[in-house]
Amino acid sequence: MTAVLQTTPALEPVPGYRLSLRRFARNRLALAGLVAVVLFLLFCFVGPLIYSTDQTHTDLTQVNLAPSGAHLLGTDAVGHDELGRLMYGGKISLLVGLAAGVLATVIGTLWGAVAGYAGGWLDAVMMRIVDAGIAIPALFILLVVSAITTPDTLGLIVILGLVSWLVPSRLVRAETLTLKSRDYVLTLRAIGGSHGRAIGRHILPNSVSTIVVAATFQVADAILLVAYVSYLGLGVQPPSTDWGGMLSAGLTAAYSGRWWLIVPPGLAIILVVCAFNAIGDGLRDAFDVRGRG
Amino acid sequence: MSVLEIEDLGVTFSTETGDVPAVRDVSLHVRPGETLALVGESGSGKSTVALAAMGLLPGNARVSGRISVDGTPIVGADDRELSGLRGRTVSMVFQEPATALDPLTRVGAQIAEVVRNHRQVSRAEAARAAVDLLRRVGIPEPEHRASAFPFQLSGGQRQRVVIAMAIANSPGLLIADEPTTALDVTVQAEILDLLRALAADSGTGVLLVTHNMGVVADFADRVAVMLEGEVVETGTVEDVLLRPSHEYTRRLLAAVPRLAVDEPRGAGTAGEDPQEPEGSTSVVELRDVSVHFGRGRRTVRALQNVSLSVRPGETVGLVGESGSGKSTAARVALGLLRPDSGSVALFGNDLGRTRGRARRSLLSGVGVVLQDPVASLDARMSVAECVAEPLRVHRRGMTAVQRRERVAEVLELVRLPRGLAGRGPRELSGGQRQRVSLARALVLEPRLLVADEPTSALDVSVQRTVLEVIAELQGELGFACLFVSHDLAVVQEFAQRVVVMRAGSVEEEGPTMTTLLRPETEYTRRLIAAVPVPDPVLQRRRRVSLGLEASA
Amino acid sequence: MDTALYLTRRLLQSLAVILIVTVVVFCLLHALPGGPARGILGPQATNEQIAAFNHEQGLDRPLPVQYVYYLHTLLRGDLGTSYTLNEAVSRLIEQRLPKTLVLTVLSALVGLVLAIPLGMWQAVRRNKPVDYVVTTLSFVAYSTPVYFLGLLLILVFTQTLRWFPSQAPQGDTLSQVFSNPVALVLPVVTGAASMIAVFSRYMRASTLDNLAEDYVRTARSGGSRPFAVLWRHVFRNSLTPVIAMLGYYVPVLFGGALVVEQLFNYPGMGLLFWSAAQSSDYPVLLGCVLVISVATVIGTLLADIVQRIVDPRVKAERT
Repeated sequence: MTAVLQTTPALEPVPGYRLSLRRFARNRLALAGLVAVVLFLLFCFVGPLIYSTDQTHTDLTQVNLAPSGAHLLGTDAVGHDELGRLMYGGKISLLVGLAAGVLATVIGTLWGAVAGYAGGWLDAVMMRIVDAGIAIPALFILLVVSAITTPDTLGLIVILGLVSWLVPSRLVRAETLTLKSRDYVLTLRAIGGSHGRAIGRHILPNSVSTIVVAATFQVADAILLVAYVSYLGLGVQPPSTDWGGMLSAGLTAAYSGRWWLIVPPGLAIILVVCAFNAIGDGLRDAFDVRGRG
Repeated sequence: MSVLEIEDLGVTFSTETGDVPAVRDVSLHVRPGETLALVGESGSGKSTVALAAMGLLPGNARVSGRISVDGTPIVGADDRELSGLRGRTVSMVFQEPATALDPLTRVGAQIAEVVRNHRQVSRAEAARAAVDLLRRVGIPEPEHRASAFPFQLSGGQRQRVVIAMAIANSPGLLIADEPTTALDVTVQAEILDLLRALAADSGTGVLLVTHNMGVVADFADRVAVMLEGEVVETGTVEDVLLRPSHEYTRRLLAAVPRLAVDEPRGAGTAGEDPQEPEGSTSVVELRDVSVHFGRGRRTVRALQNVSLSVRPGETVGLVGESGSGKSTAARVALGLLRPDSGSVALFGNDLGRTRGRARRSLLSGVGVVLQDPVASLDARMSVAECVAEPLRVHRRGMTAVQRRERVAEVLELVRLPRGLAGRGPRELSGGQRQRVSLARALVLEPRLLVADEPTSALDVSVQRTVLEVIAELQGELGFACLFVSHDLAVVQEFAQRVVVMRAGSVEEEGPTMTTLLRPETEYTRRLIAAVPVPDPVLQRRRRVSLGLEASA
Repeated sequence: MDTALYLTRRLLQSLAVILIVTVVVFCLLHALPGGPARGILGPQATNEQIAAFNHEQGLDRPLPVQYVYYLHTLLRGDLGTSYTLNEAVSRLIEQRLPKTLVLTVLSALVGLVLAIPLGMWQAVRRNKPVDYVVTTLSFVAYSTPVYFLGLLLILVFTQTLRWFPSQAPQGDTLSQVFSNPVALVLPVVTGAASMIAVFSRYMRASTLDNLAEDYVRTARSGGSRPFAVLWRHVFRNSLTPVIAMLGYYVPVLFGGALVVEQLFNYPGMGLLFWSAAQSSDYPVLLGCVLVISVATVIGTLLADIVQRIVDPRVKAERT
């Protein structure tokens, strides 16, 4: 049967949605990740309604207490309840992470799709810019920016997004390059279909799996990046905090044995980032997407 | 004693979607020195049988029955025993030479590896043996070529290397799984000659797996026909090919396009010279078109001063081997590629100078069918949406209901049930997909259909249906057709004129029957001579007469 | 020949990237509050001093002209002067960069040496319990902030077990650094952990891809045993795409170095950068960004060249 003298290799049909869903469901790690994310979201957003604590005012009578019945995870150096702080900080970490991750994916998708579809010198220039962006370590740029201004939460999301869109752009560009030369796109162009139609109706919809996988990994990276940023003192300012900030605040405490100030936030970060990575990995396997970039 | 003895073989694969029985109760044998051809279409299980005989089935395969190679049982043997047999008692040649070799190891080393797997020789001796083997398989300058990497060799040469690896230790059984399917027809002829000579020389038994009846007629002594996992007919090659007894075999043979090589057997619409009224505008015309890719030293001249035209209502077959530029020419005709020099005229208008709305309106008169049934339809759209797309591009005024009607109409034209409109491409077979592609191409009632290898990826029986549909519709609707193909037999049946391309230029052109029966150039003659006909008696005669011609 | 063409192309590309980096740094320089004048003269400068400086330096000229000036300065090797440490930035970097390189190169080596066999092993034992365990551990390692891991390691190994010192080797010269190898262990391990996680996944994926390739089947049908096939054919083919990823991992390594140096008090560029950030020492900050970015571009270029040597087919049209 097989084709002789093909100019493009024959494809295997992309798995349909049902098959992909089934594959994902069979990946235990990915499922665990999904469950973990849901639990954390509940913990951070619904938790404070059940276990409410005061996270704005300090209470110097309750400073540095070890975990007990009254304070399940102890208190920090200014008297805040740690468990409550964990929920409170988690809200910021998750929110900023999700928003920054999605923003980075959106910017990256647009950039990569344009570069991939246009080709030629525009593609070359756009990709050199991406290369330059990748060459500058994110952490360094963030520190420089912080030396100039102190951003609010929205500003933080924007800055993180601007620093992270590079990787998704390369992935989407690669996908666009592949799809651009698919027979159904060529046929459309041959009978007079417009570029807009090719991109809007064929290339982007078929890139969805790549984009979704990229977005998931971006969220994981963003949450981690937020943790770094806050740890270095550049993120949200007190009395607001997030998990990274809690780690930073609890640093000195760690050396004096007050483990409850750093282990919970550290574990929280690890679990959530791990969960998103596992989900992304599972999605990638389920959709048969190539490459992580 | 047989070199290969298979009894009641059954193979079932456990996949994500359930158990798939690939082979059922298959029994066959191969004697020393004889060639048994195992034929069938896709899904027949023939490749599975071949892999089973080597013990190379993937982990999710369950095997029942008995296989013995030179007396040694295969089913149930452990990896050690099998490794001892593979490369020594039984070898295999695979279909795709482009990926069959390790890209990072030199070819001489890969051959030497096979030698050293089974013989206690030093590296130097193995290297020498490798050079010898390269010479035996006809690679020029073998000492030099042994240090080449696979990517530095052509497809045919790579296949020769694979054959060299297969015969390195003089196996009693050689299994060849579609060994020439991925090669140009002239190269195919050479490789088949090589295999035949080697088998004759060393009395090796050959199990030849193929779907190509011409190759069977050319090479095999006996034939076994497989359908959906079972053997439906076995016999000598004359019996099976000339006097088939099973229904399926008969159908299969009837579906095979046959290249007419003797004058009186010319049939079909291509009989007479076409009478076109002089002065009618060509539907599409390439004038002195040149296209090149790349820069500097690595420039590829895909087309060099190519001129061709298609007149209203006629079918022009554009044939050639890989690298001939036929697909490039088709893309230029479609406006997908801009020629570096020369002009392209579509319906009398210079395509290079038409833009915007005028260009779009021109292109609406063209329908396109491409080769790959999977990639030709966007799997995220339903059949109806795929077929309706040209309507959305060019007939914005149509309502949804009108579109639906037109889609249903055109699906019927290509002999597909209306109900298929709601399904997705994933649920269709290759032949159905190509017909949907065809429906999409015809939905705007084009004046020109450009088909680039529309059936090459399909099974032979399915291919016949699709080709018949195209021919029928052309009779009804009167569109012109530019039909690109590497298959001379198909072109002979369906095209009134043929253009033979080679290395970017037009080698020869003219009315199909005249050009293919009495070719003018040496190349065309060689091309035709290389195409095997599915008639063993005729094929043998051809070989003899061509052999005499060559030596004359 | 082809290689020469490829090299030229890659070099030009790298040069273009470096130019873009200088543009970015230039923009940041001008985004500073008070402009580059304040950046160089310091927060104490008066308005007159700034105006005079601006005029002298040609900072009242149009931006593109200033950019050319800036390039000119860079090419002379002048990265400005740190005003907290009162030394030329280039000298500071010269002093500190080798130490950071020692840390990153060691981390990378340790990471690769462990990750590659690990990844291959996982691929061969796909979906067996070992694979799951290592995959999970990789995810965890990859998801742990470097400073948290470092912190844990310090708590366990220096405070509790007292096997290693909590500070990395101090000192200005490389020989001083190497004279205390024990103190290098924890910093290197911390830096290598995430690399092991990431690269073992890459290697696993690459090996799995290659195991499904046709040439494996050809080798086996020639009688080669599975291990021989793995070692002789699959290994090298799987390695090439992983090497390509190395280039893109260099900035991550430097970012990690920043945190590791701060945590272990290692006197390299990361710590320099960190202190400069605390004191808003812009010349140092921007000088470091420039140098590290250039180092990354060179690293990527080298990785590409290595890949080209190992794999003779790598085509030049990869963008």
